[in-house]
Amino acid sequence: MTKARENLSPITLSVLWNSFISVADEMGTTLRHTAFSEAVREAEDFSTGVFDRTGRLIAQGNFTPGHLGAMPFVVKNVLKFFPEGTLRPGDGVLLNDSALGSGHFPDCFLVTPVFIGEELIGYVVNTAHHVDMGGAAPGSQKVQGVTEAYQEGVRILPVRLVRNGEFDEDILRLILGNIRVPDLVSGDLSAQRNANFIGAQRLVKLYKEYGRAQIDTAVETIFEKSEMRMRDLIRKIPDGVYSFQDQLDDCGPGDGIVTVAVDITVKDDDITADFSRSSDQVGVAINSYLSYTRAYTLFAVKVFADALLPQNDGAIRPIKATAREGSFFNPRFPAASGGRAALQIRIFDVINGALSQAMPDRAMGAFSHWSNPNIGGIDDRTGKPFIFYDLILGGYGGRSNKDGAEALSPVMNCANIPVEVHETNSPIVVRRFELLADSSGPGRYRGGCAIRKDVELQTSSAVMTLLSDRHGSAGFGLFGGGAGTIAETILNPDGEAIHMTSKEVRTLKNGDVVSFRLNGAGGYGSPTERSVAAIENDLADGYITADFAKQVYGAKRS
Amino acid sequence: MIRIAFDIGGTFTDFVLEDTRTGKRHFGKLPSTPSEPARGVLEGLGEILQRTGVPAGDVTTLLHATTVATNAVLERKGAKTALITTKGFRDILIIGRQKRYETYDLYLDKPQPLVRRRDIFELAERVHYDGRVESKAQAKEIDALLNEIHERGYESLAVSLLHAYADPSHERLIGERAAAVNGSLSISLSSDVSAKFREYERTSTAVANAYIKPLVGKYVRALEKSLAARGVNADLFLMQSNGGLVSPELAAENPIRIVESGPAAGVLMCAEVGREEGFDHVLTFDMGGTTAKLGAIDHGVPAIVPTFEVDQVRYRKGSGLPLNIAAIELLEIGAGGGSIGTTDMGLIKVGPESSGAEPGPICYGRGGTRPTVTDANLVLGYLDSKSFNGGAMPLDLSGATAGVAKHIGEPLGLEPAEAAWGIYTIANTNMERAMRIVSVERGRDPRKYTMVAFGGAGPLHACRLARAIGIPKVIVPHGAGVGSAIGLLEANSKLDQSITRVLRLAPGVENSAAEIYADLERRVQRDLDRLRSQAKPVWSRFAYMRYAGQGHEIRVDLPDGALDATFADEATKRFQEAYAQVYGYRDRGAGIEIVDWYLAATLPNTVTSGREKPALPDKAGTAKRGERKAYFPEKRGFVDCAVYDRYALARGEVIEGPAIIEERESTVLVLPGDSASVSEHGNLVIMVGDDDEGA
Repeated sequence: MTKARENLSPITLSVLWNSFISVADEMGTTLRHTAFSEAVREAEDFSTGVFDRTGRLIAQGNFTPGHLGAMPFVVKNVLKFFPEGTLRPGDGVLLNDSALGSGHFPDCFLVTPVFIGEELIGYVVNTAHHVDMGGAAPGSQKVQGVTEAYQEGVRILPVRLVRNGEFDEDILRLILGNIRVPDLVSGDLSAQRNANFIGAQRLVKLYKEYGRAQIDTAVETIFEKSEMRMRDLIRKIPDGVYSFQDQLDDCGPGDGIVTVAVDITVKDDDITADFSRSSDQVGVAINSYLSYTRAYTLFAVKVFADALLPQNDGAIRPIKATAREGSFFNPRFPAASGGRAALQIRIFDVINGALSQAMPDRAMGAFSHWSNPNIGGIDDRTGKPFIFYDLILGGYGGRSNKDGAEALSPVMNCANIPVEVHETNSPIVVRRFELLADSSGPGRYRGGCAIRKDVELQTSSAVMTLLSDRHGSAGFGLFGGGAGTIAETILNPDGEAIHMTSKEVRTLKNGDVVSFRLNGAGGYGSPTERSVAAIENDLADGYITADFAKQVYGAKRS
Repeated sequence: MIRIAFDIGGTFTDFVLEDTRTGKRHFGKLPSTPSEPARGVLEGLGEILQRTGVPAGDVTTLLHATTVATNAVLERKGAKTALITTKGFRDILIIGRQKRYETYDLYLDKPQPLVRRRDIFELAERVHYDGRVESKAQAKEIDALLNEIHERGYESLAVSLLHAYADPSHERLIGERAAAVNGSLSISLSSDVSAKFREYERTSTAVANAYIKPLVGKYVRALEKSLAARGVNADLFLMQSNGGLVSPELAAENPIRIVESGPAAGVLMCAEVGREEGFDHVLTFDMGGTTAKLGAIDHGVPAIVPTFEVDQVRYRKGSGLPLNIAAIELLEIGAGGGSIGTTDMGLIKVGPESSGAEPGPICYGRGGTRPTVTDANLVLGYLDSKSFNGGAMPLDLSGATAGVAKHIGEPLGLEPAEAAWGIYTIANTNMERAMRIVSVERGRDPRKYTMVAFGGAGPLHACRLARAIGIPKVIVPHGAGVGSAIGLLEANSKLDQSITRVLRLAPGVENSAAEIYADLERRVQRDLDRLRSQAKPVWSRFAYMRYAGQGHEIRVDLPDGALDATFADEATKRFQEAYAQVYGYRDRGAGIEIVDWYLAATLPNTVTSGREKPALPDKAGTAKRGERKAYFPEKRGFVDCAVYDRYALARGEVIEGPAIIEERESTVLVLPGDSASVSEHGNLVIMVGDDDEGA
């Protein structure tokens, strides 16, 4: 590696670095403000980036981590289809193919080249999770019964959707003709185009102000410094191979449990996470294409190394994610992948489990796994279709110096949707929304509680698609900390009480109540080391009952 | 009439005494007394009355902005508070909205609620979104809960039941039973405090109100009593976050509305300055010791936002407690004179860490060792070691230079001046980012706005910031050092009420709108009666609206007058215009919903006829005090820069940049290519040059 350029002032470098990040942030604000889909607005399921002429990531907006590793991969693939010289000013290329980097069809990437006159200076890119891309079920994320990507909706290999800043109406019609809610998707595509327009404008201004030579030097310096910092951080992790294994529920049903295994090799200043020992790819729509596996590997390593290190090509160079071809974490096309959002928590969990052996102070017990149900049908009140999309989010595992946070978004960073908003928009009534006592994994620092949410259908009929996990295995504790309770999804808990599987698809009738009960998060450290004061507080606040205190923490301490 | 305004800030309490017969104003500043806020007020009052020779009995009006409510929340020193929720929803406050404010930090914690889980009680009852009651609350069960709450020694009670905005009857029943069972319990109902949907935000608002209500009540009563004891029998008014004044009685009942009162008054001052100079589109820039606050005034009216977050971590959105209160729009970031410069990875970083008032910047000589923005301003020659704070506080230039050199210059291989320039520039880029959010990202074209800069450090950074964003004019007001207190003199009394009712804009909606506004008017009128004012209220209606299917709403002013068949069309038109203004396009085909309905009544301030025109010297050309070396990268380093005494500048006098204009509480930096002139009202109006050769 060459030494950082001497002739660039650190002041100019600081200003340019801040500016690149602010360009990416401003693109994100534009996208969020003008988007229609809940996934973009509420869950911030989108991402923005600024790339150099050769397709290297200079800066990323602070939005969902899900596209971190994916976006550079997408840009490289777009450049294969459209090598330098083939794109014109005002063009924009759209892509959603799972194997080329999107991971599943709802994530559409728009790549826009930026020019000054005829000279290419870089690319601005954004990706957004669209409400629907057609296919077997609304939302294009159905897991069970979807066996290959062709059933998941419209597949877009890189196409020039934007010319001279306007949509190509023919291509747009072709796409929208395959989609259940064309107005929403077209609105969100416009939001993506607007975001890149703003980003390109700011990038041009920056280049004009500072000149190509200075910016080129700054970009190389940014990469070098970030790579050096990441390598310094990795060097602090003791060399070794750290392995961990966990599982995902049977998602078939009948496909069997999916083994999630990682072997992390730390050697000097390189780190590689290898998922090869995991199960083979599965015949339902939940496989994790390698770009997705990589995205959450980068996320997890960054969380362990330095949460606030800026994200760019340099910072991610020392981190590798691999998996055997044909395995669950590196499937072959046309593996179906719509429901892969359920995997991100487990990717983090196993990397966390492995790295806990090397960096115990940064580790935590396993998360409470979220539930992401969709209930859709006709609303009798209006005669119109509705989709109840929910994000039920539980607690964090116990940490090395404090309890796990209660009820906080794990990994991907989303807000929940208020009960009063849901009840206004959909024919459902929420009967309970509360923490479950005695659910958290005990420990010196206990895990966060499980959450229970009971939802009653108030229309004649609807189809429910579940996307959850931990119904068959508990969230582990670390260093003697206990596991939390196992998750359950129960139909009519006060009546027939049918226990459902975590990826179940089922028709509901008027008055049916679905009780979502997440798993409790894992504890950290032995429960015998928990302070008496902490146990008394838990009792006073009802996080645990007296019986549980006696049983788990011992009679004399309760 | 004699009016006195006093603004209690974190560090200082500012005073203005105004004689409305002559328009003459007197200013004062004393250290605040946080442990006993009323004492500082009384001391300051005594001082200013003595200095001006005004008898206490002649004071007719007292206007007050205070941090007493905010501090109770920040320091968690409020009342022992209980919360009653709907059964099954005990954890609404603990669950919150669940988004973490820092994506990559899994060791962070959520904002700590003001009550613990053990303080939360459940009541069997259920109301639906449309106000339908599914199961009635039972008085017997309510009484049992209230008895338990009494026995456990709670002083204050918040009640927040699901959909109480749609039907408040259950909350009201609890309020009535509480008055009967335990008269000393302070009550806050969510349907009174914030009749809006989204249960977490409403509950958080009701709980915060309950938490500070006993304390603010005590404060207000103690203040009135001690004022009376001093022979002051003036009418007392308190400033709210919405920029309007209310009586002590209303402030004590809804104390949550006064949490952000000082900064709101500062924005009112900017609006007044804009009026004086004939600009009704203003971006406000207030840079003090630890933070910068940025706001906006559109068409002469300060922008109001429907929510406010208190107790944030590092000024990050989502890290604090949300409050549904109408508040003057202000974006606060950790960039002030005390913000500390550091290096990391060969880069310069500034803030959010601050040296605070103690020890303060290195140059204060009070033990500070890390270089701050103020130190950088001194090294660059923008500040002077002898004339700072009117010469009352000598600054240590060699200490500042050594500190900047050691912590920034040496690690990066920069000369001290370059290193100081680096701190100054990075502080500016941080503020530029915030100013872009307030302007461009919210649909405001900077070229059409004028910046009003105040606060100790604001005028030092304003012209660079204006250049970076493309704002053509900067105004540095006369007497900006006590900006918030002056703003109080300009304030009107203002009351607002709001309610959530999600309705599609379609023919016939005017009937529902008329009902909603009749109800809101009753509520506002009830408060107006308690203001005991003779003034005639000016009513304004507005609403938060969206395209059906969206999750965020934008503010739209609704038509006045009768709500007839033209309402839907007119509201549609106004929404589409507002939407295009913010987002650049409209969607003609999509349905539109009104979500939150607002009614505000303003009682115009009939006393003030604007600020007095200050006495200024008649003769131009006497203000130059000399020259000193100051750093301008466009001039390739240090050049001789003229220094002027602001108080010696005559009306109409023009000063070409580069120039430094000194006043007691701040220093104005005029850049090469800029031109400053003194207006009729004594304000400095700076035409910003478009000379764009930065570093």
